[in-house]
Amino acid sequence: MNRLLEFIKRIYVVLLFILLESIAVWQYATSTPYTEAKILSRTTAVGGYFSKKITNMNHFFSLSTENDILTHRIAELEQTLERERELLADYTEESWQRKMTEEGDLHYRYYPARVASMTISHQRNYIVLDKGERDGVKKNMGVITPDKYLVGYIIECSERYSVAMPVLNTEFTMGGSLQMTNYTCSIRWSGDSPYYVDIIDVSTYAEPEVGMAVEAWSERVPRKGVVVGHIESFELNAAKTAYSARLKLAADMSALDNVLIVENTHYGEIEELMDNIDNQSTPNGTK
Amino acid sequence: MYKYTPYIWLTLSVILVQVFLLDNIDLGASISVWIRPMIFPLVILLLPVEWKSIWVLLVSYVMALVLDMLLGGSGIYVITLLPVALFRSTMLYVASRRSMESSDQSQLLARLPLGQLMLYISLSLLLYHSLFFVMETLSTANMLRLIATILLSTFTSILISWPIVRLFTSKVIG
Repeated sequence: MNRLLEFIKRIYVVLLFILLESIAVWQYATSTPYTEAKILSRTTAVGGYFSKKITNMNHFFSLSTENDILTHRIAELEQTLERERELLADYTEESWQRKMTEEGDLHYRYYPARVASMTISHQRNYIVLDKGERDGVKKNMGVITPDKYLVGYIIECSERYSVAMPVLNTEFTMGGSLQMTNYTCSIRWSGDSPYYVDIIDVSTYAEPEVGMAVEAWSERVPRKGVVVGHIESFELNAAKTAYSARLKLAADMSALDNVLIVENTHYGEIEELMDNIDNQSTPNGTK
Repeated sequence: MYKYTPYIWLTLSVILVQVFLLDNIDLGASISVWIRPMIFPLVILLLPVEWKSIWVLLVSYVMALVLDMLLGGSGIYVITLLPVALFRSTMLYVASRRSMESSDQSQLLARLPLGQLMLYISLSLLLYHSLFFVMETLSTANMLRLIATILLSTFTSILISWPIVRLFTSKVIG
């Protein structure tokens, strides 16, 4: 202890210098959008480099857990495959051809990716993934964990990397539905805790319960089975017209590593339809 | 207290010259882009050599805060002036090969040969201007222009500062 105090006494001027400089750099960085973009991009690059090194190390130590998850996944897939084989054994050549054509047109495709860097302590957090356009990743694809817990969706892609907006971003919006009931809701993050999100606009007929799972309801992820979290508490709003609830996130956002990027192959078609509706609603397009 | 009166006057006059004169001279846009002299680091460079680093750092911080408020720097003056305060002793050692810890430190600046004093002031102003313009542009897109601005502004600052330094070291603390 004495040695530590002695050491601090020797370098206290440098420590004070670092403290004052840090405050000034932060103040300068947040003074204009230009300085914010320039300084924060540099610090993010440096932070991202170290974060990637640490992530690699953590990944090495978490290999056994990853193996367990993969083993479970393989078991599930084997079961599905076995079931398919049994079904196929009964097919005629004609029905087999039909089945193969249908399966060729997959509704959802999955791309494995790893988290290169991410933040959870800001109001607007982002996740950088190590897969980009050259791997087939595009904007608006969903991001889930291998256990099918919602993480977020892709908002920007470069050739080798992509950036996802996670649930832990105050600008994140997505629809949800209460499991087993199909009542819908809107998912929001208030920015206070990285372990909880809120759902609003739940119908008064929904009868939510503590522990009830809430699934994502969006074109970006499969319709069923992607869990956002479980209801921790809920209440009626002041006008008694809808419930709002607090969810404990299913995905541990502080320990993300391997994720799956989900492509809805019909997303372009849906987007085109929505665009057409928007165009018809504009003053010039209104009939 | 009275022995620090010249330093208070120096601080006030240098800040006033900087804020009301140097920052308001209209040399035309084509020259102002290249030459922006800043002489206020002189206050830190001419502080008593025997002062402890912590006091030099705190004085620099207060002065930089005042400049940030007066000139709307949003922290840039603190960022750039504190390193000058921290490395003041190193600059003096590089220029004169004399350590501040030596016993003959009182009025050391007044007894320095002119060449060494000039080198000390020039190196320190070069450090300050380099930090300032790098932090201001935050870009390496136009490196040659950045270097030219640093060198021309440093040179102009040295020209303006030198009479003040000579007057202060010979007449006031000498």
